[in-house]
Amino acid sequence: MWLLVKRELSFFLAVPALVWQLLCVCFPLMLTLYTSLHTTVPGQPWYACTLEYYGSFFTTAYGIIIMHSLLLAGVTTLICLCIGYPVAYFLALYAGRWRTILLFLLTLPFWTNFLTQAYAWFFVLEKEGLINTILMKLHVITEPHTLAYNRFAVLCVMVYCFLPFMIMPIYSVLQKLDWRLLEASEDLGATRWQTFLHITLPLSHVGIRTGLLLVFIPACGEFVIPMVMGGSRYMYIGSAITHYLLNVRNEQMGAVCTVVSCLLLVVCIVFARFFVRLLQYMKQRR
Amino acid sequence: MGERIPRRFALLVAGVYLFLYIPIIILIVFSFNKGTFPTHWLGYTTAWYKTVLASHEVRDALYNSLIVAFSAVFFSVIFGSLYVFYGASARLNRYGSFFYVTLAVPEIVLAAGFVSALYALHISPGLTTLIVVHTVLGFSYVIPIIRARHQLLDKQLLEASYDLGATRLQTMYHVVLPFLFPSIMAASLLVFIISFDDFILSYFCAGSGMQTLPVYLFALIVAGATPTVNVISTLMIITSACLIGLCAWFEFGRQNR
Repeated sequence: MWLLVKRELSFFLAVPALVWQLLCVCFPLMLTLYTSLHTTVPGQPWYACTLEYYGSFFTTAYGIIIMHSLLLAGVTTLICLCIGYPVAYFLALYAGRWRTILLFLLTLPFWTNFLTQAYAWFFVLEKEGLINTILMKLHVITEPHTLAYNRFAVLCVMVYCFLPFMIMPIYSVLQKLDWRLLEASEDLGATRWQTFLHITLPLSHVGIRTGLLLVFIPACGEFVIPMVMGGSRYMYIGSAITHYLLNVRNEQMGAVCTVVSCLLLVVCIVFARFFVRLLQYMKQRR
Repeated sequence: MGERIPRRFALLVAGVYLFLYIPIIILIVFSFNKGTFPTHWLGYTTAWYKTVLASHEVRDALYNSLIVAFSAVFFSVIFGSLYVFYGASARLNRYGSFFYVTLAVPEIVLAAGFVSALYALHISPGLTTLIVVHTVLGFSYVIPIIRARHQLLDKQLLEASYDLGATRLQTMYHVVLPFLFPSIMAASLLVFIISFDDFILSYFCAGSGMQTLPVYLFALIVAGATPTVNVISTLMIITSACLIGLCAWFEFGRQNR
């Protein structure tokens, strides 16, 4: 009996966090899905569903907005991978006693919010910013160009902000890698490139996958960076959600945007996994 | 490996670090600029710091941010720790993955969902709702960190403590808590920084009545940049850097123990 009371007590002490989480995350997400399907016509029963809002979402210019969001997130992720992998490799293999301080410096900018980071880029890209000043001094250009307020600027800042998210997981996998395998590979006559392709890369795929997810998922919904760097000129799916929920207070359309962006993420991730499986399968058959 | 560092590699890494730090350094330098136009260097001054420190709006926003951050730390650490301690004995551990949902969806989806729930329930957003939603964000960091440490706890220590006649509460206070202390501190600092720096959730869930510091900063940037923005950003960067340093120190201490 006393044991039962004890177990009940620990149950009641553990449960507030769960309830809190359910109420603030799971319930709102369910509600969003429900709102996106629900008509606002009075007199309808609560379970009456409609695809009307999805219809109006897809018939307007939002197809292009979705394409732009996915493209931006995808390109950001790829650039982050191309820059981040060598850096992670360097940190894991060559950094030596500088490793701790280099890692610390890497994570430092990642703890200030994106707003500050995006704003900092103004001073690099603006008409009288760093790049223009340097190019003018070097007489490469004769008059300053505005480099901010375009899609290139948005992409630049996105890469800047998300880079640490790519480096950290890859680093943490590479750090645990058995470097004797690489030595063995080189002893057996493989070139560096072959060693990398056949040993290092397959062994670090967990880190790459985590990094891809950590960059791609938030990059898809990002609205702060486009808003600060591009003004309201460029709409992405995140900006659309903000627009509908905060500016126009159209909850249905906001919910539709939210659900669509979630679905797109799921589709992208499933597709990526399928693609990886396909590659593996083809490799095995060869 | 005693190999020589390939030069291309070193150059690339140096380039990446420059890429990461140049904008921030310029931002900090220009917070001392005399001119109002942010990209013209006119001379050194600390006048903007004085303006910012004297501003009532900044002070109000700062107070709001601090209240939210401290409350989020308080609630998420208390309830998160309770979940980790007692969830195991109440067989609730398998629901732990609930807490990762917050990290798995984009923050904007979380914010949009929460704010539409508020609309649907006719709750007007404000300080309380912000604390509630930041606490949820805190759970997703507190629970994994504390749980990882809790799993390292030697169960024989607990048995020894019970054998020697300690009650549950005494065991908790004298054995479990000291063991978990470094990770609790690290988690608290982390949640504090995340809550303090958070923009998206605050922007969605704070309503029009109140502002946190990042939301105020955003309003300033949208209205047109002045060195005030640089000053606030600089102060926030320095605060975060100090807290992260402290956090790393706790983590480092944990590894050494």
